[in-house]
Amino acid sequence: MPIIGVKRDLLFKSLGQEYIHFLFSSADDQFSDLCFEFGLELDEVTTEKQMITNEQGAEQSAGASEDIVYRIEIPANRYDLLCLEGLVLGLLVFQGKLSPPRYKAVTPEKGSVQKLIVTPATKLIRPYAVAAVLRNITFNQDSYKSFIDLQDKLHQNICRKRSLVAIGTHDLDTVVGPFTYDAKPPSDIKFQALNQDKEYTATELMDLYSTHAQLKQYLHIIKDSPVYPIIYDKNGVVLSMPPIINGNHSRITLNTRNVFIECTALDLTKAKIVLDTLICMFSQYCIDKYTAECCEVLLPDGTVTRYPELAYREEVVNIQKTNTYIGISEPADKIAKLLTKMCLKSEVANSEDQVIVEVPPSRHDVIHACDIYEDVAVSYGYNNIKKTIPKTATIGAQFPLNKLSDQLREQIAQAGFTEVLTFSLCSRDDIATKLGRNINDIPAVHISNPKTLEFQVARTTLVPGLLKTLAANKKMPLPMKLFEVSDVVIRDETAEVGARNERRGCALNCNRTPGFEIIHGLLDRLMQLLEIPRSSNKDMTGYYLQAVDDPAYFPQRCAEVVANGQVIGIMGVLHPDVIMKFELTHPVACLEINIEPFV
Amino acid sequence: MVLSAWELTEKTEMCSDLTERVLLYLDGHERVDTLHLAVLFRVDHQKVIGAVKSLQAVGDLVSVEQMVHKEWKLTDEGRKVAENGSHEAIVYKAVPLQGILLSDLTNNVPDLKIGFSKAMSYGWIKVTKQGKDSLVTRKVESITDVVQEHLRDILTDNSSQVDDEHKQVYCKRKLLQELTIRSYQLTKGKDFTISVEKAQSDLTVEMVASGSWREEKFKPYNLDALGAPLNCGHLHPLLRLRAEFRQIFLEMGFTEMPTNNYIENSFWNFDALFQPQQHPARDAHDTFFISNPQISSHFPPEYLQKVKQVHSKGGYGSQGYGCDWKIEEAQKNLLRTHTTAVSARMLYLLAKEGFKPSKYFSIDRVFRNETLDATHLAEFHQVEGVIADYSLTLGDLIGTLYEFFNKLGITKLQFKPAYNPYTEPSMEVFCYHAGLGKWIEVGNSGIFRPEMLLPMGLPEDVNVIAWGLSLERPTMIKYGLNNIRDLVGAKIDLQMVHNSPLCRLEKNGTLGTDVIQMLEQRWTSILSQLQALHTELQELQISSDKLPGPSDKNIEFVILSDPNHPPYSVIILLKVLTGRYKIEILSHVHSSISLVPSELQSFLNGLLNSSSGSRCIKVTLIWKKVGKDPLLIQCPMNNGTIAGEVNISRYLNRLLEQRPNPVLVYESKGEFYAGQVDMWLDSIYKSVTHGSKDMHLDIMPSISAVLVKQDWLIHSVSIADICFWSSLKQNPCLINFNSNLKKWFEKCQHIWFT
Repeated sequence: MPIIGVKRDLLFKSLGQEYIHFLFSSADDQFSDLCFEFGLELDEVTTEKQMITNEQGAEQSAGASEDIVYRIEIPANRYDLLCLEGLVLGLLVFQGKLSPPRYKAVTPEKGSVQKLIVTPATKLIRPYAVAAVLRNITFNQDSYKSFIDLQDKLHQNICRKRSLVAIGTHDLDTVVGPFTYDAKPPSDIKFQALNQDKEYTATELMDLYSTHAQLKQYLHIIKDSPVYPIIYDKNGVVLSMPPIINGNHSRITLNTRNVFIECTALDLTKAKIVLDTLICMFSQYCIDKYTAECCEVLLPDGTVTRYPELAYREEVVNIQKTNTYIGISEPADKIAKLLTKMCLKSEVANSEDQVIVEVPPSRHDVIHACDIYEDVAVSYGYNNIKKTIPKTATIGAQFPLNKLSDQLREQIAQAGFTEVLTFSLCSRDDIATKLGRNINDIPAVHISNPKTLEFQVARTTLVPGLLKTLAANKKMPLPMKLFEVSDVVIRDETAEVGARNERRGCALNCNRTPGFEIIHGLLDRLMQLLEIPRSSNKDMTGYYLQAVDDPAYFPQRCAEVVANGQVIGIMGVLHPDVIMKFELTHPVACLEINIEPFV
Repeated sequence: MVLSAWELTEKTEMCSDLTERVLLYLDGHERVDTLHLAVLFRVDHQKVIGAVKSLQAVGDLVSVEQMVHKEWKLTDEGRKVAENGSHEAIVYKAVPLQGILLSDLTNNVPDLKIGFSKAMSYGWIKVTKQGKDSLVTRKVESITDVVQEHLRDILTDNSSQVDDEHKQVYCKRKLLQELTIRSYQLTKGKDFTISVEKAQSDLTVEMVASGSWREEKFKPYNLDALGAPLNCGHLHPLLRLRAEFRQIFLEMGFTEMPTNNYIENSFWNFDALFQPQQHPARDAHDTFFISNPQISSHFPPEYLQKVKQVHSKGGYGSQGYGCDWKIEEAQKNLLRTHTTAVSARMLYLLAKEGFKPSKYFSIDRVFRNETLDATHLAEFHQVEGVIADYSLTLGDLIGTLYEFFNKLGITKLQFKPAYNPYTEPSMEVFCYHAGLGKWIEVGNSGIFRPEMLLPMGLPEDVNVIAWGLSLERPTMIKYGLNNIRDLVGAKIDLQMVHNSPLCRLEKNGTLGTDVIQMLEQRWTSILSQLQALHTELQELQISSDKLPGPSDKNIEFVILSDPNHPPYSVIILLKVLTGRYKIEILSHVHSSISLVPSELQSFLNGLLNSSSGSRCIKVTLIWKKVGKDPLLIQCPMNNGTIAGEVNISRYLNRLLEQRPNPVLVYESKGEFYAGQVDMWLDSIYKSVTHGSKDMHLDIMPSISAVLVKQDWLIHSVSIADICFWSSLKQNPCLINFNSNLKKWFEKCQHIWFT
């Protein structure tokens, strides 16, 4: 979930909320309650200075602002709340202090509409582009910073770290349209990038930014492509090289009056959402409030599309359905009011049993009637909904394998063994080298992106986990008798996903002598409990042991457990090499069986 | 140490034999020391003591008095000296009459150094230079080796012959050591007898068979000792909590889902749940992908098409995500990130086999490739509940959650709107944690989106409500663990597994609230007792006398204060009271002061002109050189003087809060609050008013940190704030400690003086 930081005083001023001195419930608490109701979370009350101190140390924070900052957690799909402007608008409308604004896109007089020409070469790297203009805008220090921050938040979230969409904003008065969105070999691109004092080729820039704290994370998006995306104006002035960096020439400043916004993308839907969001949040600073100027995007196939769309969509929701979905019974007009509080301007339809909901371009998260139901519920207040118990009559049942596991666990513990709970993931060494095996001979599931050695494979045996627990508990008195009943994962081509779990029971005894007889006794007990008789003639019914050689076990001290003609496990005295590799000193006798045949 | 039965008998017999001998001896003697008995019986002293102890256990047979003996004992070296003479005597004897070269002497006498210097200092020998060597000759004709004599005396138990001073010297020379020996002086006890009946330590099979137990006496058990540790097995605490959760679900009629498939493909883990293909959760940063077996290839083709359709183009009333949907992305195998993947499979199966209302649950492992910390591991257990039925409502979900959490001992819930790709509406579940005194998140819940359910083929009017939580979090809270590695994995302490108590959630409260509840109960009972006392006191006051109540008495006091350290806090307190009291202030200047700064004088005058209210506070302010701590004199007759600004404030506050509708409260708001005020007052007094620069640097950041978070030092204004403000005013350099503090200072000034 994204978190945004807003200055408290600025927020309260925008919300028109009085800051009161004498209070038992502080202003923070009051605001926090409002957030909770609206589905936000006041995560932290801090200052900019404090944040810098925490991240970079006290030296870096000198001179930073000490104004109180609220850090607020925003739901991942509410792009419209990612800046102070949107947050304030959302909350004011929620509190009924404001009605939702009406956004519109206007087309300037013929001939003066800004054009963005997309060349066919962009297909190779980043095929979509949208654009718009904010006319006669006035920034101040705070709104300017908020504008930059919102772009960053959008880049981090919906734009998926600029990989899906990249935003460029420019001072329109410094460049001349029409603009061209092209893709060129990096060596053919040369310009003065933002905050650089001279021109570099794209190749040089990529080198330059390979150590840049923020920008290096975006380089991989285009790095290996033969062509890089580039936007330039009529005179060849570079506006931006998406998704890496803008040009220095067209940078916006506090004095910028007209902003040209372009978004290049792999995903057109998301590009439109990003453009709409920027417009909806910042068109309030234009002389013509909540209004943006259209741009024309000319595609290689000759089609011309006007952006921003700022499309309003109508959804008709049935009152009865809405009420039953939530579990309330509100009349149509009340529901319309509830929805309007959520920026979804609504009115009762002629038929009275329906509400017509207008989904604004700032609410791209509303894609289905159920999103509207949720807004009704939020607006009504989750904690005001009457709690009911579903009338669903069902009979409960346990999963048989789990039931058997639990019964066996109980019995093994009663036999004096202590249960441990170890991880399903481990290193390749744990299941192979340390047990005297070769990893290639083991049908293990391998993880492609482990962050550490501990997560290389899913375990194929429970033994390493138990041995590691022994090693971590050397202070415990001997004998140590441990067990675990849990799943291992085995690669299996016949399984739907190519691997399956297997429920195992594993127990060990560690003492001055291995105590094979104790482990053997446990096996006998388990078989007795499972009603498997001892097979004296080693036939297909009952269980017996059969000597086997296994690298993990001491020679002549290892046996396979055969039950009803099927090998279900292995037991024996662990090989001293194994003991040493797990940093143990005492002999260990060990049993591991598959319990699934007994379900 | 555990003794075998044989060893035990052996020991008892030996002892009983000895006890008899002790008693027999005591029968013929008035008193005896155990040390003496040890010599007499020729047994170890400890054994005699053992016998005495067992006599004591039987009854008052012997009276015992502990004795401390000091004994002088020669060290090994001391014994050599007693035998061969002191080092210095040995040196003297080694020097022949005609003298000897030092080099020869060194060869003849081992350890020459010690004795040589002593012999020199005693004046027994002398050294004359002779060429390169030195010649050692006798200086006196004969010597008496006192050291040897003394040590011999001590060896033969005549240590009293040697005075203490010498003994100390010998101790220093490591010839002698002093031993402390404890023994017992025995006399006959009240029930003295020489025939002790042998008390049996335990009932035996022979006694039962022969019936001899009727005649035997038995030693009492030591009931204060612990029992023997048992050899038992244990179940893991997390899995015991899992059993509790399973039980709750089963009680509520839920069916357990088969979740024994850790490896899942992206299709069921994400796509089936309408989680878009570019969702951050599908990043390698968050999810473990599998390199072998890398992909899955078996999907229900018709369903797959519907999923693809609803993602890319929408349908079922949805706009969809409006972006490409790739089969390759869905094929990727992974370690499941939630058990909801299994829920999806179950719901699909339910739709395929003909829908009927169902309840499912599971508790099993899930995996996240997240950054690990004290509360997050790469794998954890997810608890999940799902109900599918016609026309389920959000109210049904809320009601079900209340029932579910009630069974866990959690009764106070709150729901927060949230976002989740596959549920709409989505709710985060918060419960009130009495211990932490705040709401904490315990789980997530919601109604599955139609985009997830309808492609499966579930009837349109079927809703599915679901919730999930981690198993580890409540377990950690229940068992008071801060690090998840103490609970799961190979590094846990097995002692914790052995010691963890039964898991009875409904009884103890899952969140450790049992202790809190107990404390709360105790607290309430203390409060009610206090209340009773208070009423009793009031009744006593009313009945005992017709003294005027405190409310209609005027207050009068004198304050001596230094104009260099004006007690602004008193002034503010008075200022705060101006609306209620008539305040009269008389200011005098003591002869020790030449001039009261006019600024201060006008400050005072400007402040205290108002006079309303029927009751009166009369203050006589005398400016005098008294230093940093002003003095308040309430009643000169009693010599009742209060020193220091914070104490004066305390006193005034106490005085004033006894009256109706106090402006500032302190002790009447409860001990806890008063304690907080006191803590601040003490820090201000110690570290600000009387503190050095270093102490200022210590305390100011913490005060300033508090004032960033809240308006006052404690949650409401108190004398702590007033005193702190006053100390700042007196130390103006501190005001600029940082900008927050300065803001606070100015804000207060504004409140109190305008």
